[in-house]
Amino acid sequence: MALTSNTKKIHKEFEAEALPHMDILYNYAMRMTGNPDDAHDLLQETYLKAYRFWDKYEKGTNIRAWLFRIMKNTYINLYRKTVKEPDTVDYDEIKNFYNTIKDESADPNDLQEKLFGQLLDDEVAKALESLPEDFRTVVILCDIEGLTYEEIAEFVECPVGTVRSRLHRGRKLLQGKLFEYAKSRGFIGKD
Amino acid sequence: MNCSQVYELISEAVDHRLSGDVMREFEAHLSKCGKCLSEFKAEEMIKSVLQYRLPRAVIPSEVYNAVVGALAREQQSQQRSWFASLLGSPILNPAVAFVLVITLAVGVYSLFSTSSPKLPNDKNIISQSIKNYAAVIAGNIKPKIMSHDAGDVENYFKKDVSFDVSVAPTNGCDWCGGALSEFHGVKFAHIVYKFGGEHNVLYVYQTDLEEAMKGEKIGLPAKAKDALKKTGWYFEEKPGKYNLVMWKQKHTLCTAVSTMGRQKMIAFLTGTGE
Repeated sequence: MALTSNTKKIHKEFEAEALPHMDILYNYAMRMTGNPDDAHDLLQETYLKAYRFWDKYEKGTNIRAWLFRIMKNTYINLYRKTVKEPDTVDYDEIKNFYNTIKDESADPNDLQEKLFGQLLDDEVAKALESLPEDFRTVVILCDIEGLTYEEIAEFVECPVGTVRSRLHRGRKLLQGKLFEYAKSRGFIGKD
Repeated sequence: MNCSQVYELISEAVDHRLSGDVMREFEAHLSKCGKCLSEFKAEEMIKSVLQYRLPRAVIPSEVYNAVVGALAREQQSQQRSWFASLLGSPILNPAVAFVLVITLAVGVYSLFSTSSPKLPNDKNIISQSIKNYAAVIAGNIKPKIMSHDAGDVENYFKKDVSFDVSVAPTNGCDWCGGALSEFHGVKFAHIVYKFGGEHNVLYVYQTDLEEAMKGEKIGLPAKAKDALKKTGWYFEEKPGKYNLVMWKQKHTLCTAVSTMGRQKMIAFLTGTGE
């Protein structure tokens, strides 16, 4: 006779295992939803789902990855907007822009200060939010969370090579977005 | 390395994932190729913009607390749903639930209320225990407290009951619940243990031994009284229906009813099982 284990024990076990990862999930929720209220809702919904499906979690496997996948699916269900193709970026325009700056500044380290340093944090956040989900996720996990490609691959359940190419593409799209902002704010000449 | 090979490696170079040899080749190419160098610098810059301009959002303590609170509520509602499963209806639809709520309210009233006209006719603790067991199975007795910790339930009784109520440790059961009732001024402690599996409910009924032996307000059949006096135990069995185990514990009379086997009941109640 298989006895169901006792809920209090399960509750304690869940809290001990899952609560320490609330930080990383909150940060991801913030970056995905773009506002604290939605991030709170997404986080809470994720934890409730995880709690309800705790018996499905395979002990000893990466719990952060497991929680993350629940959050990602929850996000998709709650906030799925019409799936759209990534905005096309005019790479030639970007190339020209770099050439323009190159002339003005000898040290490439000054580039950031010169250009993106003038953008508001909100604009950077907005640019990130505008990325298609798959790209945005790997960029957040790598560049903000500091996870390795291997960890990200486990989180999003895809090969490391896919992580690398999404990352590259995501950063490239972001570059295009930031460039547009900079241009619209008049930081970059329209030559 | 040519341009397309270098292009493939840009992200990994930005993330410092290239081995020494590969990185040297990569850098050697960049030193000669302005196009690849600016690609590399651009990606590096984007990464640092993200790192420095979008620091990790720190979870506000009120959000953390809200999530922990939501989980606690979820735990409670799961306990309630287990109680619903104890009500014994695998097809508990809203209509059935409504009827159950009505019978539950009526049942608790008639069983627990001292002014109930039904109870004074029945002082017999044994038949009362069996009736109560049926009421538990049918959902007519609802625990006022539910816990995984026998101590919690024991403490619940302590405040209001003059005799010692002992609640067996919940080893191997999902939870135990307690409810208190009074009949002609005599208090009764009802304890329900819920298990998984087939014989999933064990009901224990405890009351004042002296009152039971006196037989004024509540009473016992002669055969049970004799057995308790001689051995401290009394057993009754109706195959397929129930197993009843009655015993004395200091000044308390305890009666356990379940469809479980007698040995298993005793093992659980004495803490020697599972």
